[in-house]
Amino acid sequence: MPGIQYYDLRHVTGQVTHIDIDNGIVESAGTSFFNKAVIRVLSKTGWGVLQIDNYSPCTGKKFEAILDEACRLSRITQEKVILGDAPHGILPVPSMKEDPRDVCIEEKSSLLLGIEQAARHPLVVNTRANFIEKIENVQFVDSSENKYSYEMCRSGFNVMAVASRNGNVQMGYEREHSIHGFNLRHQQSQGKKAADIAVALLDAGAAKSGKMRAVLDPELAGVFAHEAVGHASEGDLVNEGNSVLKGKTGQKIGNENLTIIDDPGIHEFGFDPVDAEGVAVCRTEIIKKGTINAFLHNRETLSSVGNGVAGHARAMPGEPPLVRMSNTFIEAGDSTEHEIFEECRNGIFLKGSRGGQVDPGRGIFQFNAEYGYLIENGECTTMVRDVSLSGEILMTLHKILLCGNQRTMSPGYCGKGGQSVPVSDGAPHILLNDAVVGGSGVD
Amino acid sequence: MAVAWIDQLIHEAEKKVDEVEVFLVKGTSVSAELKQKKVNLAITSEDCGLGVRTIHKGRIGSSSTNNPDQWQECLNAAIASGKLATPQDWNGLPDPAPFSQTPLSFDTSITIEPPVVIELIEKMLKGADEHPAEVAAGSASLSSVTVTLANSKGIRYTDKNTGVSLSLEAIHEQSTGYEFDHSCFLDKVDPVAVGERATFFATESDNGKDIASGDYDILLSPLAYGELLGNVFIPALSGRNVHAGRSRLAQSLGKIVADTQISMYDDPHREKGNGSVRWDAEGTPTRRIDFIRDGILETFAYDLKTAYRFGKTSTGSAIRGGFGGLPSIGHHNFVVDGKRCGVADDPVIYIHNVVGAHTANPMSGEFSVEFSNAFWMEGSQYDTPIRSAMLSGNIFDMHHNISGLSKESRAVGSMILPSIKINNQHIIGK
Repeated sequence: MPGIQYYDLRHVTGQVTHIDIDNGIVESAGTSFFNKAVIRVLSKTGWGVLQIDNYSPCTGKKFEAILDEACRLSRITQEKVILGDAPHGILPVPSMKEDPRDVCIEEKSSLLLGIEQAARHPLVVNTRANFIEKIENVQFVDSSENKYSYEMCRSGFNVMAVASRNGNVQMGYEREHSIHGFNLRHQQSQGKKAADIAVALLDAGAAKSGKMRAVLDPELAGVFAHEAVGHASEGDLVNEGNSVLKGKTGQKIGNENLTIIDDPGIHEFGFDPVDAEGVAVCRTEIIKKGTINAFLHNRETLSSVGNGVAGHARAMPGEPPLVRMSNTFIEAGDSTEHEIFEECRNGIFLKGSRGGQVDPGRGIFQFNAEYGYLIENGECTTMVRDVSLSGEILMTLHKILLCGNQRTMSPGYCGKGGQSVPVSDGAPHILLNDAVVGGSGVD
Repeated sequence: MAVAWIDQLIHEAEKKVDEVEVFLVKGTSVSAELKQKKVNLAITSEDCGLGVRTIHKGRIGSSSTNNPDQWQECLNAAIASGKLATPQDWNGLPDPAPFSQTPLSFDTSITIEPPVVIELIEKMLKGADEHPAEVAAGSASLSSVTVTLANSKGIRYTDKNTGVSLSLEAIHEQSTGYEFDHSCFLDKVDPVAVGERATFFATESDNGKDIASGDYDILLSPLAYGELLGNVFIPALSGRNVHAGRSRLAQSLGKIVADTQISMYDDPHREKGNGSVRWDAEGTPTRRIDFIRDGILETFAYDLKTAYRFGKTSTGSAIRGGFGGLPSIGHHNFVVDGKRCGVADDPVIYIHNVVGAHTANPMSGEFSVEFSNAFWMEGSQYDTPIRSAMLSGNIFDMHHNISGLSKESRAVGSMILPSIKINNQHIIGK
């Protein structure tokens, strides 16, 4: 069509099944349905995008009319956009060990109740468990006749225990989410773990704030990689000038032992068989042996920023794609866990994550552990609660002294631009020097 | 007003369940996104969603779909869902009540057209030119939504609301600034000020100085205060969290929970409020709720389900995030009020925004957040910027130490907040 340089259509239909059990009561359980499409047209001046709920696939004049509407909308844009070349292709979606759709909702509800009940304890005043199963059928087509379709099923659960004593209220929280199929069986231990942590935290002291050595467990170190490095390497932020990593390719910002990767192709919770603009996904080494190596891109930012590969465009159903992380991790190093705690000697061990946030332009990040332990003479001693970590990207990476030799990944969700997408983060245990630790404890 | 198939849905449902409720949302929007100073992307959306809730012998079911033509499938899914739910005491959906048909949050002057969005963008950029910082990104959007609520008791309510949202991000060297505005009314947003404030904070925060760890008097802007209040304090006022053992305020009715100059209330009928509404998401008439009066906790918020379960009355506090799922307990226009004073007359650390408030402990209220655009302030003048520091504390305890509320308040989403001055707060320097 005249005036249209490129278009693509991403149409996602599917269903979400959920179960919410709160203090033994099934608050809600059932299935909802969705049908959302996003059509992007690139004209000489920029993008015109239509978001359509309840989209009916069409061809011929009807489809042309939709493209024409998006093209007319793009007339208010003012920037010539060039799309970088990128390889197309789709990976197979890994098969599931047990398809959640083959399990009736009554059985799911009963298994979830078992996990929730396992979180009961005389000091626990509230237990809550949620199950969610989301099936997405994705259809993609673009103006170069690239066509893809695939089905993804993500499912998993959260369990929370709230313990209370004399006005002191603490919580424990465990979760398991997967692309590998139904995972509610034999998980009561997760409920018990949530309760044990909540109860133990009743006796934990508030962490004292200040600069100290810190050991981060794989889950929190993964969030560290995500918040401190991942967001600042997103090509759209780099392009806007809203990243401290802009213009620093080839600069050393961390020790030799630090390599940080984003890889949408590995079979973790952030897996995408193909990205949201039809580009083949591949691994990007963001930091390689302490040096800024490559950024995450979509086709537009690949062209405008360079240095990296496309294939990192992701989107919620019906939303325009953004440059996003998928499975982000610090590569394993060669230190044993024992060596890391020995080297720390005195400091703090931070476990689990309550989430984090970054201001990539300023290079400041903050995140919170679920709990921690003091490290005294290389040994974990007293449990502490409400402990956080903050820092500056360009300074903190130099302070990673040791990386452990075993990496594990944790599933989660990441928010950006009003869209939440599934991700996983991971790392080995890491030792951080001069970590800025926050807590409300006083001497 | 209701479409014919809604009556048909209700009629069909009544054959199988005690009660049914239909929630239909239809909306359009247009927005433009800036990449630096140029519009890079223009978006329109056509949204449509149907939510169905059924109640049968105290079992509540729900389902939703984007395709109202498939209402039958959606109804069946809701009924099936209800069979799994644990039964509870249920005394019925609300009966119809006479309401004014004039919407509270609808601006007839708003047209959902691209040129209006471009005009807003141009005004933001004009404001941004006031200071040297560069524009990194921004957006302007207009929306119009029609909500229909119908139930088997005869309720057929329709409400319309409009929205204008603006945001701008700016950067100056390694210093960032962000500002936004949102209203249901076009004349209530100030695009020039959004642009000007974003580049002001980015510019003025450059060359920040470090601060030594210690206890300081701080002034939280409405944005910074709203982050902490919305993530931790307000959820503790939800009746559901209270009865489930998830609220630190659960045992505090009638007790002092904040400085005695502080009051907090929901004001659903506030003129031109962002969340103003005559009926809540279940059709219960809304009313003012005085949660905290002069520091004393007086009540919690309830929807029908929680109220029936615990022998309370709905406070008209049911909200829906969209059309899907069940209604939950929220607020409409949450106001923090009290005696106002000159909060920045004496030296104080002004904190414009914070990073990481959502990582706070929602049970205990403990938090640690990074500063964003913090300054030494005296005589209400911005002085030396503070480069980076962390504020640690407890949001519940902090409310006992509030020493002043600013004369001006600001809408932050559906909260209307002053800046608050708090003495002796612990700051961790770098």
